[in-house]
Amino acid sequence: MVMPTLKSTSETDVDRSAGRSAGAVAGLRRHAALIPFGILLLFAVIGPIVAPQPATEVVGTPSTAPSGDHWFGTDSNGFDVFSRTLTAFRLDILIAIAVTLLATVVGMAIGAIAGMYGSRGGLLGVIAGTLGRTIDLVQALPVMIGGLVIVSFFGRNEVVVSIALALVLMPFQGRLMRTEVLRTRNDGYVTAARMSGESEIRILFRHVIPNSCAPVLENASAIFGMAIIFCAGLGFLGVGIPLPTAEWGNMLADGAADAAVGRWWPALFPVLALAYSVWAASKVTTFISRRRRT
Amino acid sequence: MTVDIRVDTGIADPTLVTGTADGGTGTKGFGAQSVLSRLSEWAWVGRAAGRAIVNFLIFVVAAFFLVQLIPGDPLVSSSGGRLSGEALGKAREVYGLNGSLASQFWSYLTSLFSFDLGESIATGRPVAEDMATRIPATLELIGTGLFFACLVALPMSYFVVTKPTNRFSKVLRSYASSAGAIPEYVVGILFLFVFFATLAWVPAPSGRLDPILMPPAEVTGFPILDAFIAGDAEAANSYISHLILPVAVMVVSHTAILVKSLILALDTEIDNPATRFRIASGAPRRIVIASVYRRALPSAVAMLGMIFGLLLGGAVVLESLFGLGGLGQYAVDAVRASDVFALRSFLVVIAGLCLIVYFLTEVATGLLDSRRRDSRNQEV
Repeated sequence: MVMPTLKSTSETDVDRSAGRSAGAVAGLRRHAALIPFGILLLFAVIGPIVAPQPATEVVGTPSTAPSGDHWFGTDSNGFDVFSRTLTAFRLDILIAIAVTLLATVVGMAIGAIAGMYGSRGGLLGVIAGTLGRTIDLVQALPVMIGGLVIVSFFGRNEVVVSIALALVLMPFQGRLMRTEVLRTRNDGYVTAARMSGESEIRILFRHVIPNSCAPVLENASAIFGMAIIFCAGLGFLGVGIPLPTAEWGNMLADGAADAAVGRWWPALFPVLALAYSVWAASKVTTFISRRRRT
Repeated sequence: MTVDIRVDTGIADPTLVTGTADGGTGTKGFGAQSVLSRLSEWAWVGRAAGRAIVNFLIFVVAAFFLVQLIPGDPLVSSSGGRLSGEALGKAREVYGLNGSLASQFWSYLTSLFSFDLGESIATGRPVAEDMATRIPATLELIGTGLFFACLVALPMSYFVVTKPTNRFSKVLRSYASSAGAIPEYVVGILFLFVFFATLAWVPAPSGRLDPILMPPAEVTGFPILDAFIAGDAEAANSYISHLILPVAVMVVSHTAILVKSLILALDTEIDNPATRFRIASGAPRRIVIASVYRRALPSAVAMLGMIFGLLLGGAVVLESLFGLGGLGQYAVDAVRASDVFALRSFLVVIAGLCLIVYFLTEVATGLLDSRRRDSRNQEV
């Protein structure tokens, strides 16, 4: 596991120098897979600014089809679908980023401890065993149901939604980390470090975690996609971010009733935004995994 | 393949205990010995069951403390602040909220193990009764969905694995790799728009039965089965026609992950020496394929537990979208009424259902492939 990481860092160095000398075109082509995600982040920054109408105010007759005034039509409350879709980018992506960061960091920490010390005796072993068991238990509950129950207990706001989703998505990262740590903890360099008298904490942070975090970081973009889907799913069930705040999930909850009577526009555009975000995240996943394997 | 050797000290092995008791019975020793060894062959089932029970107990405790963590008084918030003074005190008594944490915990545990899940704050109905009618309805939805998804996934995976260069199988592969990225609510809204609003092929998404029909007498609790038992063709027809669209949505959004796990399992087995041996010894193609499927089966079955969890989460969405009135819709209604005690019971019931399914898949995998058994005491 040491060799590939070493190789990839040296390769990025080569990339960087080549990019400087051969011009930006080659570098751009190599990173083309990251462009959709970049655009997504751009939407998150400028979305609420460029939205032509206020997203949380009634601006037109309810349920009018797309027209010159309202490009994506208006929903059953008279909100402008175009403005709401654009505005929602910031909130949904912020939540997804928060969930990804939290789930990855917590998952890595728990997975590393559970993998490293799970089979030991003493207090540390008990703690590690408990943490490992927590991962399994949380994963035994369906993500949607875990998220639904926690959010409904502790309030429907973006902080609770982020923490709840991070908690239920954390096992995916934790299990991955634990498997990797179980593989690396017996590698030669770890034994060598232990023989040379390095402290356990140093071994964990200096040797084990850097050599086992690559798959977890690769999976982070998948977690981002799942966070977007489940956040909107909670909104769809009516337990996510409440109206009138613009969020794709609560737009879909409204749009579902409209779709059943033949009005397609209130649901279509949030779905497109959702699909684009998940697709952009999956592009990043394939980019990173290709990077790691070459 | 990794054999999971887990040391579970928390669970006593029942066969060992009976072993010491039966050991000294002289002439019957041989018979007892063989019974004993027969029993200890099945010890892994006991261990799996013990683990499931311990996990369930942890969930029960965790659910209690999760509700304790909720800020504010759950009775006040669920009644919208209308309860106060003496009425509030009386209500607290009814829901067992007076007294210390320990006594609350004790009354929660005792009522739970006498299958009394308390009463819903919002409706006043006993939660256990509601659950009893709703669990079969949800299981029916999930079971039908899973059945048809398997029915679609098997030929798909066969096609992808046996014709890897075909253009259509590449399409199928990319569909499989989209697993988990196709949310039910999106497919559901799309299907509602196309098949109900535009084409009008299916009945309105409200309920399982046409409002003019009477539900058949309850025998098993599974609506369609009950309608057949009662010989009520009209009701059965209505049930089925209301279920077609939700099941179709389920199949479309969850076949991907089934195909993905099947392909994963088949791909590792198709290049296995066992396959090459069969081809080399001139076995007909049919036998080779059957052996590949047989060897891939355990790892595919092992995925079913996880897929059941996904379907259960999806059922919540589908039930509230199509108004099917199952377990999931109960939860969503409870959330709307901020009925934390009903939600707590819902959490415990869901955990129980999932753990039962995980236990069953563990047993099924162990039966299919003895290397996957939890083999603490097995001498190789």
